[in-house]
Amino acid sequence: MASFVALCAPSHGSQGSILSSSFSIRSGALCDVSRPLRSPKKVNLCVKAMGVVKFKGTQMREKQLTELIEKKVLEAKQVCEGDETSDECKVAWDEVEEVSQAKADLRRKMEKEDPLESYCQENPENEECRIYED
Amino acid sequence: MAICTVYTTQSLNSTCSVSKPAKPQLGFHQKQVVFFTKSRRRSGMSSCGSSVITCSAGEQRTVVIGLAADSGCGKSTFMRRLTSVFGGAAEPPRGGNPDSNTLISDTTTVICLDDYHSLDRTGRKEKGVTALDPRANDFDLMYEQVKAIKDGIAVEKPIYNHVTGLLDPPETIKPPKILVIEGLHPMYDARVRDLLDFSIYLDISNEVKFAWKIQRDMAERGHSLESIKASIEARKPDFDAYIDPQKQYADAVIEVLPTQLIPDDNEGKVLRVRLIMKEGVTYFSPVYLFDEGSTISWIPCGRKLTCSYPGINFSYGPDTYYGHEVSVLEMDGQFDRLDELIYVESHLSNISTKFYGEITQQLLKHSDFPGSNNGTGLFQTIVGLKIRDLFEQIVASRAATPLEATKA
Repeated sequence: MASFVALCAPSHGSQGSILSSSFSIRSGALCDVSRPLRSPKKVNLCVKAMGVVKFKGTQMREKQLTELIEKKVLEAKQVCEGDETSDECKVAWDEVEEVSQAKADLRRKMEKEDPLESYCQENPENEECRIYED
Repeated sequence: MAICTVYTTQSLNSTCSVSKPAKPQLGFHQKQVVFFTKSRRRSGMSSCGSSVITCSAGEQRTVVIGLAADSGCGKSTFMRRLTSVFGGAAEPPRGGNPDSNTLISDTTTVICLDDYHSLDRTGRKEKGVTALDPRANDFDLMYEQVKAIKDGIAVEKPIYNHVTGLLDPPETIKPPKILVIEGLHPMYDARVRDLLDFSIYLDISNEVKFAWKIQRDMAERGHSLESIKASIEARKPDFDAYIDPQKQYADAVIEVLPTQLIPDDNEGKVLRVRLIMKEGVTYFSPVYLFDEGSTISWIPCGRKLTCSYPGINFSYGPDTYYGHEVSVLEMDGQFDRLDELIYVESHLSNISTKFYGEITQQLLKHSDFPGSNNGTGLFQTIVGLKIRDLFEQIVASRAATPLEATKA
């Protein structure tokens, strides 16, 4: 079973990522350059602490959900200040639950491969299927 | 395999023909042959009338399973174990909407009932209803489509996108051998309930729910213990009013509680899990320990089996649950080693395994899934095997039924 460790250059990132093959995924691996690896192909594949991100679409979804969770939690706290038993308060916390679960589902899907893998094979020209670059 | 006898008439009007309706309209298991006859049935049409003879390959009618649980309570894990028991890995439909909630394997299609939300996120906010509220869901559509799939007809099912909170254009669902509908309300509507061949409810106690959501959310920016707690509490009234009552209808309930083996344990790591099985359900014979119908208390750890702290406790016995006769099998504790698992498996009866050690094999295969070392994994796997058994019995019984013929 092929698995990859990819190293992403963080702040001085113009060199982009380097791909090497047949290493095991360290799920705690962060996108930091720890040692250089040479490879003929330059494919951006980032194994973040969260999982496999290869395509722009997955990175976007991850970002969107992360920001949504933060936003919705703040909203809920505000809305519930007035009346904790109000419908608005219930709905606000339900939204928090919904996006929290959606994020957890995405994380799980990302464990083995980028969830857009098969979609992007069929639709490589789609904006979401651009290779994600840090 | 059904046997259908087909007759053709000698004198067919030259403008008439024998035709088969387009494939996508039909389930793979129903063949309809339309015969055009000379009789004038409709005015203004050609002089061909038609009669339809339906051949039902009986063993291939879709079996429908319902799984109910609150959000974040283990439905996904259960689905993954279930589809693994039936064979193959369930994956999202290839090439379709990447945010589809549907899973498809060789034998099974899993539909997420959130797809039947009548209100999207904005709509629910405007109306002041949570996703738990029946008013946010289109039960008429749910019933129509589940019924259609059960009758072998493909449907165009809406997609609820959990990332955007919007309802996306529909996707085609073709009738599978086994259809699983999972979500908040599979047993809420009586009509949908009647379509289910088997139903399961995951009943997670508040303390365990809290522990699981902490594990799920604590790493997220924005979340804290307070926000996780507040979310659970705010949703509780709707959950108690609309979701929880469904458990009385379930054929099997998996109840997850904190352990009784460790005094004052609040970590929620060691779990006490009860498998509550309804008696008298067609094709479903409850799992039992040693002597069916008796009351047993069993601690497998002893001379033959050494377990580490806090050990494993089992119990089994009859009970009543919301007015129904049930059998309850309970496991408190954790498996540490392979031999504990196989030892326990060898003492359970009516587990519907196809070979000795199948449960152990399934649990090992997915040892990375949450709950693989406790009663949640064990009972989910057992329920999966019971459903497989139920499916095979249904198939066998339908094959024995003579073919049905209908005339238009």
